[in-house]
Amino acid sequence: MSSEGFLLRIWRRFKSWEGLLLVVLVVIIATNAERSPAYLSIGNQINLFQLSIEKIIVALIMAFLIINAEIDLSVASMMGLSACLLAWMYERGVPVPVGLLLGLLVGVLGGLFNGFWIAIVGLPSLVVTLATLIMYRGLARVLLEDRSIGHFPEWFDALGQQSLVGPLPLAMIVFFLLLALAIVILQYSAFGRYVFVIGNSSDVARYSGVKVRRVKMILFTAAGAIAAIAGLLFAARLGAVRGDLANGFELDVITMVLLGGVSIFGGSGSLFGVFLSILIVLNLRNGMSLANITGHVQTGVIGVLLILSVLVPNLANQVRDTLNRRRQAGRPQEADA
Amino acid sequence: MRGLRHRIRPEQVRESVIVLLTVVVAFLFSTQIDNYFSARFFNRVSTSVAIIAVVAVGQTLVFLTRNYDLSVGSIVGFTAYFVGQTLTHNNEIAPLVAVLLAIGLGAMMGAFNGVLVAYGRVPAVIVTLGTLALYRTILVEYSDAQTVLTALLPEWILDLPRANIVSFGDVDIRLMVGVALVVVILFQLVLKYLPYGRRLYAIGSNPDAAEIAGFPSQRIVFLAFVLCGALSGLAGFMFLARFGNITVVAGLGLELSSIAAVVVGGVSNQGGAGTATGALLGAILIDLIDNSLIRWPEISEFWRDALLGLLILLAVAADAVIMNRLRNLWTRSELQMEAEADVSIAQEQGSHV
Amino acid sequence: MTNAILEMRHVSKRFDMTQALDDVSLSLYPGEIHALVGENGAGKSTLIKIMTGVYRPDRGEMLLDGQPIQVHNSQEAQAFGIAAIYQEPMVYPDLNVAENIFISHADRGPFVRWGKLYRDAEAILSKLDVKLDVRMPARGLTLAAQQAVEIAKAISLDVRVLIMDEPTASLSAHEVSQLFRLVRSLRDQGVAILFIGHRLEEVLRIADRVTVLRDGRWISSTPRSEVTSEQVIRDMVGRAIDDFFAKSEAQRGELLMSVNGLAKHNIFSDISFDVYQGEVLGFAGLIGSRRTDVALALFGVEPADSGEITFEGQELEIRSPQQAAELGIAYVTEDRRSLGLIMPMSIAANISLPMLRKYLTRLGLIKQKEELAVAAEYQDRLSIRAPSVLVELEKLSGGNQQKVMLSKWLNVRPKLLILDEPTRGIDVGAKAEVHHMINDLAAEGLGIILISSDLPEVLAMSDRVVVMREGRHMGIFDQQEATQERIMAAAMGQAHAPAESRQ
Repeated sequence: MSSEGFLLRIWRRFKSWEGLLLVVLVVIIATNAERSPAYLSIGNQINLFQLSIEKIIVALIMAFLIINAEIDLSVASMMGLSACLLAWMYERGVPVPVGLLLGLLVGVLGGLFNGFWIAIVGLPSLVVTLATLIMYRGLARVLLEDRSIGHFPEWFDALGQQSLVGPLPLAMIVFFLLLALAIVILQYSAFGRYVFVIGNSSDVARYSGVKVRRVKMILFTAAGAIAAIAGLLFAARLGAVRGDLANGFELDVITMVLLGGVSIFGGSGSLFGVFLSILIVLNLRNGMSLANITGHVQTGVIGVLLILSVLVPNLANQVRDTLNRRRQAGRPQEADA
Repeated sequence: MRGLRHRIRPEQVRESVIVLLTVVVAFLFSTQIDNYFSARFFNRVSTSVAIIAVVAVGQTLVFLTRNYDLSVGSIVGFTAYFVGQTLTHNNEIAPLVAVLLAIGLGAMMGAFNGVLVAYGRVPAVIVTLGTLALYRTILVEYSDAQTVLTALLPEWILDLPRANIVSFGDVDIRLMVGVALVVVILFQLVLKYLPYGRRLYAIGSNPDAAEIAGFPSQRIVFLAFVLCGALSGLAGFMFLARFGNITVVAGLGLELSSIAAVVVGGVSNQGGAGTATGALLGAILIDLIDNSLIRWPEISEFWRDALLGLLILLAVAADAVIMNRLRNLWTRSELQMEAEADVSIAQEQGSHV
Repeated sequence: MTNAILEMRHVSKRFDMTQALDDVSLSLYPGEIHALVGENGAGKSTLIKIMTGVYRPDRGEMLLDGQPIQVHNSQEAQAFGIAAIYQEPMVYPDLNVAENIFISHADRGPFVRWGKLYRDAEAILSKLDVKLDVRMPARGLTLAAQQAVEIAKAISLDVRVLIMDEPTASLSAHEVSQLFRLVRSLRDQGVAILFIGHRLEEVLRIADRVTVLRDGRWISSTPRSEVTSEQVIRDMVGRAIDDFFAKSEAQRGELLMSVNGLAKHNIFSDISFDVYQGEVLGFAGLIGSRRTDVALALFGVEPADSGEITFEGQELEIRSPQQAAELGIAYVTEDRRSLGLIMPMSIAANISLPMLRKYLTRLGLIKQKEELAVAAEYQDRLSIRAPSVLVELEKLSGGNQQKVMLSKWLNVRPKLLILDEPTRGIDVGAKAEVHHMINDLAAEGLGIILISSDLPEVLAMSDRVVVMREGRHMGIFDQQEATQERIMAAAMGQAHAPAESRQ
């Protein structure tokens, strides 16, 4: 690979969606930094991550799913269910470590349940995970009803709230580890290649000998496991668990993935873009908080961002197609015989 | 048997099954809950069903075109609040105006969804997931966290839930229930007798063929979302009447109930099949279970969501697996016609192939 | 002689490499069934697409009732009274028959009057002498019934020119008779019918006039009374085989695969043949012959219901593509886009896909260097024209994409290579390269099944030729006995195809 080729690739990267994201990110950070001098301090940046750390952990596995042309709307509910199970167990005197394991197990089971209906029975993932979104949330409420369980052992709270390695708390370490792992798997491993291929065309994948069902099963189970981990981390950070823990998180998670350039139709996307969009969402939310914009409005803004992240590329494509078609009006079409 | 096959379609079988299920469920609950079959319960439930049914009809229209609307809950909440606020500050507004306001507002919100889905080609799940949040945010901002208070609403709207069309002893057929029934019947008729309604089915059944046939698919889908929004607006008005106190979380979760009602009621999530009646039956079953669970002391009411989710899943799975087989079996129709007589053979053998 | 309804005059159409139609003229008269025959690629579907407004001709004109017209889309074609019915009917499965017939009508008033709808539908169906329950959803209808509905739809729109493209390809004999009764009745009502079919005896049964196209050119138009099947076949295939190099003599090795009585319900039955190492077994046949289905069964995508497959001495059931690939069977599909290749991915990624396992480190990571090296090897070997193996497939020409697909499957080191229309839609130069490759592979000892609708290609490349027709095999020809006429005759079901004994 010549150096010229290398530079060309970097340039192409920049002209793309990721370049746009980078620009937006810089703008947001600059605006925020201008508004408050301490913005770029390590403390604030860590805080920025911490506030949404559980969402961004789940966003990593959601990226895999959407690239695979699937979706999992039930992740937030699985987060809640795992945390609620932990709390419920704790309420009954079960030691926290055991509760943690059980919480993880319930996430895995939830993922397996999703995977069964989607990969094996063949139902559409949208409807299945919409149903399990309701179901798992319901089960979480059955456990905790209206109660809030807190007063976890100190070590547990500390894990969630305090720094573990250097200035970084446990959750952030988990995130960066998962991010590294995700990048390696998605870009460099066979499994990641299969995820892309299936997302592009599950028929071609099948014809090429790829075990489509197995890949999907693994993805949905992983989603359950990671949602569980995120939910448990959330419980540690909050210090208390309620039945509606992580309610509505799927909005942010899906937005982060789609904004990052992952196509809703599957088959393309990169974790670099997702990371950029995560930074954008985090900094945006933080900036809005600093500007005293309420959490509700922030959610509305995220909603708009979600729509734009699909609308803008769509419109761009439509415009490009129309221009192309006009240019080719005289040219004969492709033969298809 | 043949004749029977002609008169009864799989959809009708399914609807009968739901009715049967409802009866069974009601019976089961009645053994666990005192005074189950009371007029009071009926009145309560019927009013509650009315609201969901109206939303479910709107959701049906959208489902038929292979789309979903997750923002209906937010639309209901917002219209309820907005109209409530308006009435609070302007007590003299005529009831009809208030209703139209709700419907118009809902229609606008639906139109926004429709534009993005039909013309922007953004998948419905993305659009309505976004507007679910956006509309809720607008509500919160608009309300400034103030609640609409019953005390400040004009009399007529507070009396509305108790207004009856007709009474059989203690059992009332409430005005709101009547409205819901009118809506259901109206759209049942639209879906069956208006070309627009039939085109909804066509688009959902075979979008490619519809495209080739030159149907204005985009306009049709857009209109479906507008109607869904309008109906949600109407439901919002009914919601206001029923509850009086409207907080910012009004209508939260209604989208899930409406989808449950629709899916259980036999509207296919892959478009092309389902009726307003089915949506109503689904709404009745769902809401009945809901209201019954609340009144069953032994079981925590919090099971309702878990059950709701399970019901949706089972309904979809059952549809995918059973209904398709049933449909194919039911309608295997041999082409009934004379085969051509091969002229030469007939001449030779004097026979008829 | 009444005037023609639709006239195509000196129509030509070119696509990039191929001259699909070259100065073709055709006239359709009311009350006449005009059959159009020709091999795959002769230009029939292009002609139809021009008639229905999908394409515009480069040269020539269309005349309707003597007036020149331009058709820009299917709605305009419909307005002119031109309708087409294809092999796959486009019905709305959830709507009932009556609705399917009338759904495109804009002028039936503000309300749907179901009673009237049913009566009108029944009226149309009875005009065609078809008895169908108009209340039945279209979903459960058999293919023949769906076609009847499509025809009824066309009638309801006052069709004047009805184009039927391979309508009988998936029908049983009985259903074909029913369809023909319908078509005759249509004709008797004054509709001009253009019938494209591949079963010669069917064509001769139904047609009033037969036109033959070959390589995009008009060859002949003959009234039924003067037509003979030999003449038709000769018109269809008559061209020199010289521009394909002959295959070198096969060094036939061991018996590689033996197939006995392979059957799949309603698709194909009683398929038996042998494939040897080092030989090219051609599979000839026309559309609907189900050759691809047999290949899919051998490759495990759509396994057969019954019959035996013996591969390398072992009797097996092939249940999945993975299993097939592991056994050493590779299938190169005819449908590049939706079944064969991932267009947005690079050449290298596509080539390595079935064998990705072999290029992994212990942790499951892809050894990029190895992957690229392998791809570069194939790029060299097959002369794939691309700046590098990292280029996305969608940027390559059809011919080069085909080569990538070949590379992908060659990389599996197959013992049996099944090629399905490997040179379809690629230019002459690339074709020659592919043929070279097939030669080389056979010389290396692979067994090759070559499915092709290009008769000269099949004849030039194959050591033996299996001819299939409608899911049955009509015979196996040796290289000496195989001539275009014989193969075409067998492919079209003519009696005098010598049923070959298996070797």
